[in-house]
Amino acid sequence: MNPTRSRTLRGALVALAAGSLVLTGCSSGSSGGNKSEESAKDKEAAKAQSAAVEYGDAAASKGPAKAVEGAKEGGTIRVYQEDDFSHLDPGQIYVSDAGQLAGLIHRGLTTYTQAEDGSLTVVGDLATDSGKQSDGGKTWTYTLKDGITDEEGDPITSKDVRHTIERLYAKHITDGPTYIQQWLSGGPGYREALPDGPYEGKHLPDSVLETPDEKTIVFHFETAQPDLPQALAMPGYSVVPEEDDTKAKYDQKPVALGPYKIAEFKPGKSMKLVKNTEWNAETDPARHQYVDGWNITFNHSRADQSERILADRGESANAIQMSGSVDSSKIKQVIEEADDRTIKGYQPYVWQLNMNMDRLKDKKIRDAITYALPNAQILRPDGGSYAGEPAGGLLAPTLPGYEEGYDPYGKLDKPNGDIEKAKQLLKEAGKEGMKLTYAYANVPHRAEQAVIIENALEKAGFDVQKKDIDQATWYEQVGKVKNGLDIYMTGWGQDWPSASTVIPPVYDGDQIADGASNYSHINDKHVNDEIDRISKIQDPEEATKEWVELHKYIVEKVNPAAPLYFTKQLQIYGSNVGGARYSTVKSYIDLTQLYLKK
Amino acid sequence: MFKFLLRRSVGAFVILILISAFTFAMFFAIPQDPALLACGKNCTPQNLAIIHENLGLDKPITAQYWEFMKGVVAGRDFAVGHCDAPCFGVSFNNDQMVWDTIIDRLPLTVSLTVGGLVLFLTLGLGAGMIAARNKGTMIDKTFSSASLVLSSMQIYFLGPIVLGALVYSTGWLSAPKYVPITENPAAWFVGLLIPWFVMSLIFTANYTRMSRSTLIEQMQEDHVRTAKAKGMSERYVFFRYAWRGSLTPIVTILGIDLGALLGGAIVTELTFSLAGVGRLAVDSVLYKDLPLTMGVMLVSAAFILLCNLVVDAVYGFIDPRVRLS
Repeated sequence: MNPTRSRTLRGALVALAAGSLVLTGCSSGSSGGNKSEESAKDKEAAKAQSAAVEYGDAAASKGPAKAVEGAKEGGTIRVYQEDDFSHLDPGQIYVSDAGQLAGLIHRGLTTYTQAEDGSLTVVGDLATDSGKQSDGGKTWTYTLKDGITDEEGDPITSKDVRHTIERLYAKHITDGPTYIQQWLSGGPGYREALPDGPYEGKHLPDSVLETPDEKTIVFHFETAQPDLPQALAMPGYSVVPEEDDTKAKYDQKPVALGPYKIAEFKPGKSMKLVKNTEWNAETDPARHQYVDGWNITFNHSRADQSERILADRGESANAIQMSGSVDSSKIKQVIEEADDRTIKGYQPYVWQLNMNMDRLKDKKIRDAITYALPNAQILRPDGGSYAGEPAGGLLAPTLPGYEEGYDPYGKLDKPNGDIEKAKQLLKEAGKEGMKLTYAYANVPHRAEQAVIIENALEKAGFDVQKKDIDQATWYEQVGKVKNGLDIYMTGWGQDWPSASTVIPPVYDGDQIADGASNYSHINDKHVNDEIDRISKIQDPEEATKEWVELHKYIVEKVNPAAPLYFTKQLQIYGSNVGGARYSTVKSYIDLTQLYLKK
Repeated sequence: MFKFLLRRSVGAFVILILISAFTFAMFFAIPQDPALLACGKNCTPQNLAIIHENLGLDKPITAQYWEFMKGVVAGRDFAVGHCDAPCFGVSFNNDQMVWDTIIDRLPLTVSLTVGGLVLFLTLGLGAGMIAARNKGTMIDKTFSSASLVLSSMQIYFLGPIVLGALVYSTGWLSAPKYVPITENPAAWFVGLLIPWFVMSLIFTANYTRMSRSTLIEQMQEDHVRTAKAKGMSERYVFFRYAWRGSLTPIVTILGIDLGALLGGAIVTELTFSLAGVGRLAVDSVLYKDLPLTMGVMLVSAAFILLCNLVVDAVYGFIDPRVRLS
């Protein structure tokens, strides 16, 4: 997922408006705590995050979820949020804020369970298991558990699941994931298969989506889709009961299947969740219902969230940050005063400097740029060492197959860049003094990074021409095939823990189009062929090995984008909140485990 | 009086039409596409076209403006339901009816304004009067200096300091929070105490200075001196003649401040994490939410025009020399 795309932009914009995005306040070296120890802990946690996801069987998919040690029932958790949730209709949910909420109110065919060490297993949520594949992975069959109802007590049937998938073809659904629709109906033009969704009485043919009885759903794909269980675990594929579907209006008042339901929603102001009494813990392998409810209010800047929870007074002792992070201006204070009340971990995002391969055709030039970049310095304006760490490759620590220490361009050994090596390569390419058009988004921390990057590249012998682009249209501008730019930063993160949601969208030559995410316009035959081949591998572990090899080829042999830094999460919670842990799949506090101590 | 009010009302209506047309035109002058905020991860041109259609942005600007104005007068139908007049449309951002959203946010803004107004008028005018009556003394100098310092402060500076001192460090007061007065008057009062206090400190300074200077000026007027010469008491002259005469400029400034505050105390709301019309205004611009921008702009403008109208009408009562015609 792209961290600044879509409505995640809202948080950043509001923070800017409130003047709270003072990212420079946390430069490396300004934070308290033992950094090397913290870093070692983070790396240990990352190992679990990057372990291959297992597919759970029926036994692993049974409820109730493993009890949280010491958990108590009752009370209301207070949530301070910056923005209102971008969407409530699961079909429209892609980004993190609504994804967090979805974990409490929505349920899909599959979900993740997380072990103590952070490793993940995909299990059946509404389904009895993570799915049974046949026909070489082209056919997947799911059976619904008994006793699943919505908040009104109406049973969920296979027709509801079919409706859930088919409504994603309708025109009012524009913001959610499109993986399964594309797999079922032939790629980006999937809407043509069912232009009005299921609302005019039409359905996808049984040869594509079949519901032979009330409990069974069968997906038929043209090619093998080994990642289907993980795709189905995305909040965007949570079930919408057919009878309750109000089309566009559903985004305002969805029906819950999860442990909590919406009792009151004042858009832009507040939301109250109460227990969904129809939720049956026996059917749910992942969630708990320890607290009576959740009281969420919006319009709290990150600084305000951090300050209130740090003060830990009154209701703040019961408070959490749901999808917000500790404000960079408060990191030092939080680490020094309340480190035992923080959630930390790697996020799935990798920031990279894309090099437009339509314009920078000589690999020596791309290598020179990569060597010259001072990754550690570039990270500082984005929050410093508690907000990330320099990257040596393009796969995040949260991805299966991530190799710690992988560093073909010496970015970890020389985090401030290797200017001499860059100079030498540029000389060999015969391009000393070459003009480079460098675009950056016109927000303070990107502008600061631009100065750092410009200085480094100028020292290496480039003539950098900076161009600022409005943050709001950033991805639209750099996403154009003919963007007229040489180098520009973008961030990308996995949709589920597999490189299949990173390498194909970002490095596949078939993805070169306006609005597509192959920002460097890499179109390498070997890469394209390998993506096609590896995408069909059924065994996740084998696929992971192949993705890792392909990643190395991309970084070392093609080098379309210079790795800059990985991002990290830091959240704070109140002293009366129990069960807090980092969700390796969501990269935020795990809401499903929380309780109040008294 | 009636003719005056009628003429000014017609004028205000025309101004509102002009503001709506100007805001609409300005929105499209910005080279940004609001549809991008609702476009998914792989924002293909096809997806973008569907969103343009859903938001009605595929139509010519003039047609969009006509539809909008028609909705204000007669209501409109949207995918999320019927929008009764006055319909400002449906928010691009959250599919909520704009009018309902504004009405929902208004009580907080009105509470902030009224509470703040009572505080800063009481403190500001009181301090101004005391300073004027004690012109040249230590009291006057103290009040004048304090108002000078406070008027140079900003809410976004003072707010966090007060929060840090009274809420986060000591816990003497709870963090600002809006509870409707109809729900719990005590919680309403306590929740808005800090915003009122900080806001009033800034405004108090202006009113102290304003009332002090106008009162001193009035005290030197001929009619005041005549009243004193007639043997009237100092207090009577002060309130009956000098104070009344000094009200006109204060009412003028109050009308402007009141209109602006009712249109949204933006900085106060952002500083204290409150969700009123001011925050709505900021959000509407940041999210390129045309219907919300239009709605907030028009409501804010209407408040300013209304307050000015009331001020003009009040002039006649304060100063009989002013004839409304």
